[in-house]
Amino acid sequence: MTDETSDPRTDGGERVRESRRGAKRTDGGTAAAGHETDHHHGLPAPSSIKRWLVTTNHKDVGILYTVTALFFLVFGGVLALLMRVQLWTPGATILEPLQYNQAVSAHGLIMIFWFLSPFAFGFANYVVPLQIGAKDLAFPRLNALSYWLYLFSGILFGVSFFQGGTFAGGWTMYAPLNLPVYTPNIGASTAVLALLLFVVSVTVSSVNFLTTMHRMRAEGLTLRRMPLFTWTILLTTWMMLFAFAALLAALMILSADRLIGTQYFAATGHAGSLLWAHLFWFFGHPEVYIVFFPALGVMAECFQTFTGKRIVGRKWFIAAMVLVALQSFLVWMHHMFLTSINLEIKTLFMATTIGISLPFDLMVFALVYTMLKGRVRFTTPFLFSFGALVLFILGGITGVFLGAVVLDYEFRGTYWVVAHFHYVMVGGITALVGGLYYWYPKMTGKMYDKFLGKLHFAMYFVGFNLLYFPMFVAWETPRRDFVYPEIYTTWHQLSTVGAFLLGASFLVMFYNLWVSLSTGEDASDNPWQFSTTTEWAIPSPPPLENFPGKPSFSSGSLEFLPDGSDAGDIEPAGPGGREPAATDGGEATTDGGEAATDGSETDADDGEDDDDGKLVTDGGRVMTDGGQPMTDDEQVVADDGTAGAADANAGVADEKATDGGTVTVYDEHAADDEEHGEDHASIWPFRIGLTSFLFLVGLSGLRQGSFPEGLEGGAYLGLTVVAGVGLLWALVGMGREEFHGLEGPFGESWPFTGINNTKLGVWIFLASDVVLFGAFVGSYAFIRVAEGWQNNWHHLIPADHVVLPGLINTYLLLTSSFTVVLALVACEKRSKWGLIGSLATTLVLGIAFLINKAMEWQHLFHVHSEAFPNGWNIGTNVASSTFYLTTGLHALHVIAGLVITLYLIARAWNGAYLDDDQPVELFGLYWHFVDIVWLFLFPLFYIL
Amino acid sequence: MTVPADPIRPSLVALHPAQSGIIPRGTRVEVFQQIFDVFLVLGTLVGVVVVGYMVYNAYKYRDDGGERPDDAPKVGELPTGGGGGRKLFLSFGLSTIIVVSLILWTYGTLLYVEDEATVEGGDDVQIDVVGYRFGWDFVYPNGHETSTLRVPANETVQLNVTSEDVFHTFGVPELRVKTDAIPGQQTQTWLEAEETGTYRARCFEICGAGHSYMTAEVEVMRPSDYENWYANTSAENSSAVAGPSEIGPRATAGPRASAVSQGVVG
Amino acid sequence: MSHLRLYTGIFAALAAFATAQVFVEQAGGLPYWTAFWVIIALSLVKAVLVAWYFQHLKWEPRSVSATIFTGLLAAIALTAAAAYSIL
Ligand code: HEM
Ligand SMILES: [Cu+2]
Ligand SMILES: [Cu+2]
Repeated sequence: MTDETSDPRTDGGERVRESRRGAKRTDGGTAAAGHETDHHHGLPAPSSIKRWLVTTNHKDVGILYTVTALFFLVFGGVLALLMRVQLWTPGATILEPLQYNQAVSAHGLIMIFWFLSPFAFGFANYVVPLQIGAKDLAFPRLNALSYWLYLFSGILFGVSFFQGGTFAGGWTMYAPLNLPVYTPNIGASTAVLALLLFVVSVTVSSVNFLTTMHRMRAEGLTLRRMPLFTWTILLTTWMMLFAFAALLAALMILSADRLIGTQYFAATGHAGSLLWAHLFWFFGHPEVYIVFFPALGVMAECFQTFTGKRIVGRKWFIAAMVLVALQSFLVWMHHMFLTSINLEIKTLFMATTIGISLPFDLMVFALVYTMLKGRVRFTTPFLFSFGALVLFILGGITGVFLGAVVLDYEFRGTYWVVAHFHYVMVGGITALVGGLYYWYPKMTGKMYDKFLGKLHFAMYFVGFNLLYFPMFVAWETPRRDFVYPEIYTTWHQLSTVGAFLLGASFLVMFYNLWVSLSTGEDASDNPWQFSTTTEWAIPSPPPLENFPGKPSFSSGSLEFLPDGSDAGDIEPAGPGGREPAATDGGEATTDGGEAATDGSETDADDGEDDDDGKLVTDGGRVMTDGGQPMTDDEQVVADDGTAGAADANAGVADEKATDGGTVTVYDEHAADDEEHGEDHASIWPFRIGLTSFLFLVGLSGLRQGSFPEGLEGGAYLGLTVVAGVGLLWALVGMGREEFHGLEGPFGESWPFTGINNTKLGVWIFLASDVVLFGAFVGSYAFIRVAEGWQNNWHHLIPADHVVLPGLINTYLLLTSSFTVVLALVACEKRSKWGLIGSLATTLVLGIAFLINKAMEWQHLFHVHSEAFPNGWNIGTNVASSTFYLTTGLHALHVIAGLVITLYLIARAWNGAYLDDDQPVELFGLYWHFVDIVWLFLFPLFYIL
Repeated sequence: MTVPADPIRPSLVALHPAQSGIIPRGTRVEVFQQIFDVFLVLGTLVGVVVVGYMVYNAYKYRDDGGERPDDAPKVGELPTGGGGGRKLFLSFGLSTIIVVSLILWTYGTLLYVEDEATVEGGDDVQIDVVGYRFGWDFVYPNGHETSTLRVPANETVQLNVTSEDVFHTFGVPELRVKTDAIPGQQTQTWLEAEETGTYRARCFEICGAGHSYMTAEVEVMRPSDYENWYANTSAENSSAVAGPSEIGPRATAGPRASAVSQGVVG
Repeated sequence: MSHLRLYTGIFAALAAFATAQVFVEQAGGLPYWTAFWVIIALSLVKAVLVAWYFQHLKWEPRSVSATIFTGLLAAIALTAAAAYSIL
């Protein structure tokens, strides 16, 4: 490294060293000296298993995600190999037909849900906080909770194999094949519930990441200046938030159909089958970008780092991604071109589909042009990124074939589609594997064996193309089918060979990464020459507290400021800040300004660089904490879509951060007191994960609203009850636990300055709940349109279903909303009894709402009319199903709200909330939301 | 495959006079092949050029271990973009033009295959197709039901497709016809076979244990033979295993007899 | 707390609108689809009132409202396009 002085960290490090106070540093990743654990609020050393059960630190959680995801890669991979063996000759039945279908389905579900996304989120967990200069995520305990729900949902999926076989209807789970009439195994229900639990994990995770990335960026790190990997994760989580809410609705409805006998997707209905397709693909198309975007982010990072160039057209690259993220919600029917949708809508979706492929062209070109005039170094991460781009290009081109509707008519249901999406999705995996090599030194502090890395790539790339390219040639093979035209036998055999080669390449990787953990060279802070992002400015692995001070970009480049300092006080740190922000973007029309390097004469240095050892690696960095006393960060515990609020959030200190600017005014608080440090350990997320797992295992035994007779049914019932109680206990336990997360003020928070983390988290969660209920209402509307909105529909509903109970409940809920408003007013007036009185009134009104509803339902269950001789039950027809399920989901929200109300009353009794009314306010947000939902359900289900 | 002039649909030529000649018409086999060929050629070309360019530049600009350039990226800098915007937009514009014009071109054909006159033509042969686990029933206008689809050659045949249990997809690969068979819904499509002979229809959406074996024979007959055959059918002498009126999943889980022989496509 | 009167007024309006919705239907004077849109519009107005004042969106950054609105748009896109596709 020639220009030491230009490295900001040299400077920053110096400064920090001067102001060092009682250096306190632990090693977050590998060995931590025993005595240091007490400094960190009970986080045991990494060598102990307990550490990994209780940790809430983002780096630990990142590692947990990565390792778990790789396990599921092996799981899904073995299933894939089984399929490839079956396909060696047409019509072979090494697996029975149903077993084959199970393998196909489980392979798809595992790879997409339990491997691909979580693998990316391993990096997201580890790297994003580092890149944005945050010490952790906004809600560390919720982050751990996401992980445990993820792990246990995966285990639950594994359990499904042992309950008569898992789900066998394809990862798309088309209706009505997904109903017990056609897939009767208990395991099929379990698989659906496993996915449901996974979605809950994703939702919690989305809320957490969005809050973190929007609110907790270092000073000067405006959205426009965010590193590209973080950008991709930001967009991914936005898509996740909305897309997975639609899937949650679909899965809840499916679970209800399977377990309690609602009739949404039944074959007898007019449109159940199509309804599933709409719900699934409304989620499904964004999902393909959700899995792909992080890979794109890795590619962008690696292309920049290993070519020594900044990305071409950065601004447009970002704009293109934003466009794709938005538009991804408007293309879903291109998966339904062969269904009975009309020509106009086909045309529209053909147009949006082609439209969405164009921004991708731009991104591809931007990456390609980034190499020009660069210094391309063929390190393992770069090889994988480069390979991924090649594969993505091929996948994208074949996608355009599919976008041409006339061609899609023939490709649908064939190996063309299989080959297309494997090229793009596994292309994405390719980039993520590159990401693993890229960040492995950071995460472990060790360098892997470079030769084996390249060997892995060679085997991988050859294996990949050998596996998937023949599928284009043999495209007339029907999908999910093991009988295929004989002339394709050779191609399928090539595929199978490729599959084993691809599988074997991962053995090389596992060996390499495992062995290097102990024998690898120590990695320096920055083992890659031209990397720029913040994670490379700190040790490998980073200490628990990440940074040797407060990261700030306000001078134009990264500095670590002594804690508690005001960015304005500190003069910019030398030439590191010499890249003016205004050069952002690729609008510059010349590229002549680059220093011309003539790389064509000599041989490329093919080695991985390790030349940055000269950077400051002073071990004695100052670790101070973020400032103010911490308060509990947990407010929302998403539990099957209902918010269970937790403990007092004792108010996040008011911030005076300026909008989008660089200067944050700091309260000069004592930042030196260790008692005010963050917590890093909690066992409750694990307990919630475990109990929800057991609870769902129990629930899977349910069929048509009751458990089967006999011992087995009794076991399921017992498990449901016991685990249900356990789950409640764990939820309350987490709510009551004192846990200090990170506290502001933070640097950049656009566009959410002026609202604190917790409140923002609640709002983001509510936004996903909007989509959840929206999808329920949408399903109702769709079914009703299909049945005939007015006349046919009214025949499905008994005359006894009248407006009055609904109207009464509307009044009750509206009044309860008003009393919550009064409760907040009472807090402001510091009136304890006013507060308790208002909350108690809310409770009473809510209970009255439920009682009224129960009476109404009882009545309807037992109507006796000519049309409904056996009452109007959940499973009577689609109208009753939509009515009971939608309003039932709403009632569950009410019940959750009442539990929170009880909790608030208990706390208020002891004098809480008068000084800090935020918990009451947050509860209010939730309760009013439940009210608003009812404002729509009432006319839809009672009046119209 | 040679593309014969289309004698059957003068009305359509009249409908799209401006496009005649450019927009592929004819049987589904013909239009698919033409469009696919063009896509394949262009797609291959674009793929080769772009990937080739990538590989070439990666090699050309490989690191030679020289001095670190002054403006090289450094740890801790704020991300910014590099130059090269003009090139970026040129290539982007070019790719947009290619893709959009290709799709517009195929859209003409989409309108043609979806044309009301084509799909619901007056005196064409009309057949209802009903998928069930795991087979197909074909119901003729006179009520005759069979498990083999018999159609006349060189005539447009209208298919009304549905399912009596789960979601299936009906397709005859060699005739390039395919549409979903959805319970509670009707989908329409048409086919036209130029050569007599036996083809194979099959299911393209996973539907259960017998999915891989869910096939049916398609017999394309000389029109006169077809007329003869059809004249001798009636609702009573149906040969299908079961009628579409039978509700609920059928017990047949295993391979049906027809599945044992392998249909060779192509 | 100075908002108390405002809140009370809104509460009264909400209750009145709910009653009006039922009235519109029971009176039966309007054609079905006119009544439909009137009723839906009343629901929308109520929802906005609750969100704007009770949930304090009026006093939060607009970005929060935008987030919720985006979710709403997504749900509407799904409902509208799906329903239209089978018409
Ligand atoms: C370049 C633009 C792309 C276009 C125009 C495109 C178009 C399509 C179309 C029309 C289908 C439906 C095929 C059918 O079932 O008949 C499809 C399927 C699929 N695409 Fe793409 N695609 C593109 C990029 C991507 C990307 C980037 C991904 C993911 C990383 C992706 C993943 C998938 C998947 C998973 C399926 C199959 C879903 C299934 O049926 O199981 N595609 N694509
Ligand atoms: Cu898609
Ligand atoms: Cu099938």
